[in-house]
Amino acid sequence: MMNKMVEVSICYGTLCFVMGGAAFEMMGDKLPDDLKDKVTIQGMNCPGYCNTQEQGRPPFVMVNNTLIAEANLNKVIEFIRKEVEHGSNE
Amino acid sequence: MAQTNNATLIRREIITRLCKLYVENRLEDVDRIALEMAPRNGTQAGGNRCCIHKSRAIIKYRVMALLGFNVSDETDELESLYSYALRALSNKEPEKGVLTVVDEACTSCVKSNYVVSNLCRGCLASHCMVTCPKNAITMEHGQAKIDPLKCVGCGLCKEACPYHAIIYVPIPCEESCPVKAIYRNAEGVEEIDYDKCIHCGRCMVACPFGAVMYRSQIINVLHDISRPNRQVIAMLAPAICGQFKASYGQVATAVKKLGFTDVFEVADGAVLTAKEEARELEEVLGQGQQFLTTSCCPAFVELTEKQLPALKPFVSHTPSPMRYSAELVKQQYPDASVVFIGPCVAKQAEARKYPGIDYVMTFEELGAMMIAMNVDLQTFEAVAEEEVLPERRFAVSNGVLDSVAAYYKGPTLNPLVISGLHKKNIASLRRIATGKHDWNMIEVMACEGGCLSGPAGISSPEVARKLFNAQSGVAEGQPAS
Repeated sequence: MMNKMVEVSICYGTLCFVMGGAAFEMMGDKLPDDLKDKVTIQGMNCPGYCNTQEQGRPPFVMVNNTLIAEANLNKVIEFIRKEVEHGSNE
Repeated sequence: MAQTNNATLIRREIITRLCKLYVENRLEDVDRIALEMAPRNGTQAGGNRCCIHKSRAIIKYRVMALLGFNVSDETDELESLYSYALRALSNKEPEKGVLTVVDEACTSCVKSNYVVSNLCRGCLASHCMVTCPKNAITMEHGQAKIDPLKCVGCGLCKEACPYHAIIYVPIPCEESCPVKAIYRNAEGVEEIDYDKCIHCGRCMVACPFGAVMYRSQIINVLHDISRPNRQVIAMLAPAICGQFKASYGQVATAVKKLGFTDVFEVADGAVLTAKEEARELEEVLGQGQQFLTTSCCPAFVELTEKQLPALKPFVSHTPSPMRYSAELVKQQYPDASVVFIGPCVAKQAEARKYPGIDYVMTFEELGAMMIAMNVDLQTFEAVAEEEVLPERRFAVSNGVLDSVAAYYKGPTLNPLVISGLHKKNIASLRRIATGKHDWNMIEVMACEGGCLSGPAGISSPEVARKLFNAQSGVAEGQPAS
């Protein structure tokens, strides 16, 4: 059975983009080869996490159902790997 | 080149807070920024400083720079930031220098570039001591020790040590400066020599403590926007197409939303620059001059003025796209405030020299302003552009040359592109000035790859390049029509 693709949603809001999110433009290029065909990358409009302190600091990225605050490329790739290896496969 | 690191992000956060205070009419709270960013019992903003008070002091001086002041011009330590803000708004003429060192944030670097590591065995031969021409090395407690006051940084000790125990530790700002304009003063704090500084912005990007800041004019821009009946025009540099994940049209709409009366694309000015420079090139080559260099990069022009006078006569006299754009603005809005927005630190220095440009803002400041005013680019519809100016490629290396070549009708061009004013390229320029070469047209940009890699852009150069290629409509390699 095919494993489900890991869904990566990058906040495309201007705040996230200016505060470090621009780096995710390289997400597709920087993914390790073994993960390339296991991930779908998409943008999301600002979900407003930046307006409250509770969720942490920008930039925000969702990997499946996990919200990553202060996200950077390496952090997100590590989460993706975790999801690929241990995530739900139903 | 713009980098995303904590030093950059803290600067952007402060700019955002400053904008917010201004638009919310709470500028008198500007002294609270440091308290809010480094709260008691909170995690420290401003990096791993010794204590909260130091963090706050550093933030205070960052705000001072962002209010447009040179940090070293402080005369009364108790003068509040609000007082500085009011002084900035009373619009006094800025003194020289666009970059300033936040001295509180500096001093963390090594006293001498060469350091003895604990790999030192304190050997009998003591090659290091014997080799040192300045007697700067002594043996203490079985280890070699370098006296930073005597060390001249020649590196002979490092070469001499058979254990590789002596290491070279760079001082990033000094290392990055291509013209030796930043140096340690007697107190061990870096200082900028404005008679040498060409405002390339490399030290600002290089300093891991974010101690070098540009003196912002954003408070003046916000003030003009808020004045009733005041027209304020934004001129967007060609590199804008590589800054946001948005089309030029979306950005222009957002800029109007911020309160600017109208938006001009500096690529329009670049058309005039390219045409005039082509004409000038035909003329000077016809008169027997050996070669001509471009003049649109202000850091390069400053380099020829301050460091390479022999090259100065070969620099084109054609006004930069910014200056031509300002003329276009004046034709339509004779009484408006004119604001250039770009990725560049040196543009502010250029703008001060010529009438017609009131303020210079950076792309990161534009981003911070959007955040502060809740203007989200994603909410504007992307409209496909019917026609785009090939001169948008002024933002990339080779682009200026291609544009000039498109209008040029003289003898065969033998062009050279110099991309990045680092030490090696400056040495090349020194040789070029002597005239012993066959080039007749030389494009020079201070930033590697062109303005897309500017020090005050939002994205890293590779991201900026990718966005530019996707959004500008004039992908790399496409010659000007």
